[in-house]
Amino acid sequence: MIDSKDLDPNFKYEVAAEIGGANINRCFACGTCTAGCPVREIDEKYNPRKIIRMVLLGMRERVLKSDFIWLCSTCYTCYDRCPQDVQLTSIMTALKNIAAREGYIHPSFKEQARLVSKFGRLYEIEDFDNKKREKLGLPPIKKNFDDITKITKDTLPKGVIQ
Amino acid sequence: MGDKIGVFVCHCGINISSIVDVKKLTEYAKTLDGVIVSKDYKYMCSDVGANLIKDSIKKHKLNGVVIACCSPRMHEHTFRGVVEAGGMNAFNLEIANIREQCSWVHEDKVRAIEKAISLVRGAVAKARLLEPLQRSKISVTPEALVVGGGIAGIQAALDLADKGHNVYLVEKTPSIGGRMAQLDKTFPTLDCSGCILTPKMMEVKNNPNIELLTYSEVVEIDGSIGNYNVKIKKKARFVDVDKCTGCGDCVTSCRMKGHVDSEFDMNMGKTSAIYMPFPQAVPLKCTIDPDSCLMITKGKCGKEPLCVEACEANAIDFKQKDEEIEVKIGAIIVATGYDLMDPTSLYEYGYARSKDVITTLEMERLISSSGPTSGEILRPSNGEKPKSITFVLCVGSRDETQCTWCCRIGCMSALKQVYLLKEKLGDDIEMNVTYTDVRSFGKGYEEFYRNIRGMKTNFFRGRPSEIRNKDDHLTIDIFDTITNKLFEISTELVVLVPALVPRADADEFARLLRISQSADGFLLEAHPKLRPMDTFTGGVFIAGCCQGPKDIQDSVAQASGAASRAANILSKKELESEPLVSYVDEDYCSGCGTCVLVCPYTAIELIKEKDGTTHAKVNEALCMGCGACVASCLSGAMQQRGFKDNQLISMVDETI
Repeated sequence: MIDSKDLDPNFKYEVAAEIGGANINRCFACGTCTAGCPVREIDEKYNPRKIIRMVLLGMRERVLKSDFIWLCSTCYTCYDRCPQDVQLTSIMTALKNIAAREGYIHPSFKEQARLVSKFGRLYEIEDFDNKKREKLGLPPIKKNFDDITKITKDTLPKGVIQ
Repeated sequence: MGDKIGVFVCHCGINISSIVDVKKLTEYAKTLDGVIVSKDYKYMCSDVGANLIKDSIKKHKLNGVVIACCSPRMHEHTFRGVVEAGGMNAFNLEIANIREQCSWVHEDKVRAIEKAISLVRGAVAKARLLEPLQRSKISVTPEALVVGGGIAGIQAALDLADKGHNVYLVEKTPSIGGRMAQLDKTFPTLDCSGCILTPKMMEVKNNPNIELLTYSEVVEIDGSIGNYNVKIKKKARFVDVDKCTGCGDCVTSCRMKGHVDSEFDMNMGKTSAIYMPFPQAVPLKCTIDPDSCLMITKGKCGKEPLCVEACEANAIDFKQKDEEIEVKIGAIIVATGYDLMDPTSLYEYGYARSKDVITTLEMERLISSSGPTSGEILRPSNGEKPKSITFVLCVGSRDETQCTWCCRIGCMSALKQVYLLKEKLGDDIEMNVTYTDVRSFGKGYEEFYRNIRGMKTNFFRGRPSEIRNKDDHLTIDIFDTITNKLFEISTELVVLVPALVPRADADEFARLLRISQSADGFLLEAHPKLRPMDTFTGGVFIAGCCQGPKDIQDSVAQASGAASRAANILSKKELESEPLVSYVDEDYCSGCGTCVLVCPYTAIELIKEKDGTTHAKVNEALCMGCGACVASCLSGAMQQRGFKDNQLISMVDETI
């Protein structure tokens, strides 16, 4: 049972204040978003309609700490078809931003950030890769990513990279 | 000139007095030049308040009154009557709006009283300069024009005719009947639509007070309340209506037979180039479609047009031309109806991709025994009976990207069709309904919905994301928000329930009539609650779906209301006109004509005098007192009574 006193009535305004979050209050729970969602088709845990309802009800902690806000594939189907123009994809981004600022980041994203920061891309370039490129007549990829490391150090929120 | 002014401050319960210190305001007013009495009261618009004003006028022989209260839009009319009853000229009254423009919009009491004081000071300054004005009389033409021959227009015309007024009923298509004529049965009583409509259509035809002008359009309107001149174009039918017997021999003989989309059947069936929209058409006369008739488009039709050969009455007349007539009337009722939104704009619903995705109105023609399939329910793609039908509600309605409003009839018309289809195809046919909310608000509607829920029908609470063609059927993705489960519906026929939208030519028509539209494009009523049939243009009324979506019951009620409102005007020999109109000081007028150009009511003309000078002249019967001419006049020759430059400037000086 959830105690209604634990709900945060200001959470929806907090989301609405984020870029792309303004239309969240329009949601009338029709479910068009979930009906067209490709992620939902393979994982019942992800339900955009439910996430929006949870935000509107003020279930702040549960939403921000959850895994499911990180599952959106940003395909924009829900964004396109929502009859109330709720702009769900932007709201998912807004939720991720709030969560990240509060230190709730899904481990897979932390790992991705670490890789990008270290290698400038999501995987490491090894000698093997450059040898293969040489055979194909392609120039080698440089392995020094100091500039990217610097950018990510300055831009990523604290706690993303340990 | 007002040198004995009374100021009356209204508390409006606590609407004003909770923010504005009314006692202080009343005392302050006494210090103003010309004010000899100042009083406050809780409700100035009550009998007691009115008597307070009347008695003060008599006792102090007042020649000016300022009432500090709500907006003049609320009670100016009331208070003009009050001061007149007190023995003063009604136009020596000035309202200081300290409610809408002060107490309702401010919280800071100190600054609110400051503002109220300056508003009253300005009003008193104007009252000092107001002059007594007299209302003039306008004669009334006791005839009416009703535009639109659907159920609303029919009802309005019959009501006015019953009251003894001559009515011109103008209908754009060849027959009256409108959308209601296209319906099979009506919810929630399942009355046969034709059975309850056609008697009224016959009444229109037989009523000596109604002149029915079908296949006609209003092309020009000028004049004002009580006296409008209207030009009506009677389009050429290429059939002599006096000779045509309505036998239909021409329709069956036409070379284009079966090749022309039937507009009445929502293009679900084919007709000929010469056609009768439906068997109970009024008037029962044939019409040639100029876009598909070979004689008209190509100049020849075989050796001889077959319709001419077939018509024993010799009614076909290819030489017929459009005709224009002019009528004089005193009031206008607009009942031009609605269109259905074209669902093509919602690409994901596949209306354009599959013949088996149709609209409610198209389904209505399939259900109707006078429709293209004689009432048999057949899939448009293969002509076979469907084993599964799915209704999708709110298509484009309640949609921020399409139509934000509720169509008000979608839920009920879909439920009705579910019932009728079950009746025709048996309860065992698979029936699915996807809905956002079922709004069964009217009398007997909820009970109807309850009965449908008891039938074999799947209700999915949600909106489909997509409707796809798959082999010979359709699949729909729907998330049922109640079970929290995704469903895939396989179905053979999809019925979309599209939004109701204003007629395609609503903008043009509103401009022609000089009436306003609301943001959604429907025609705007003067007040959503208290004047739902009036427009802001005197003598023009609205009824039915041109004002906003509604069901038949509400359309009929509004039509009778509009007829009654119009009769208020038509039953009077004379109307009193407001004297707050503009006039020209001919000595100052250079005759530049700017005012003529800006006047939206064509109330001003240029007059050339014998001595060669020109000046503007205002037709006071046409002037609505909008003030556009005054604002545009370069020399100050144009003035508006009750709002003259010196009155307004003095008011502004004192206010600020």
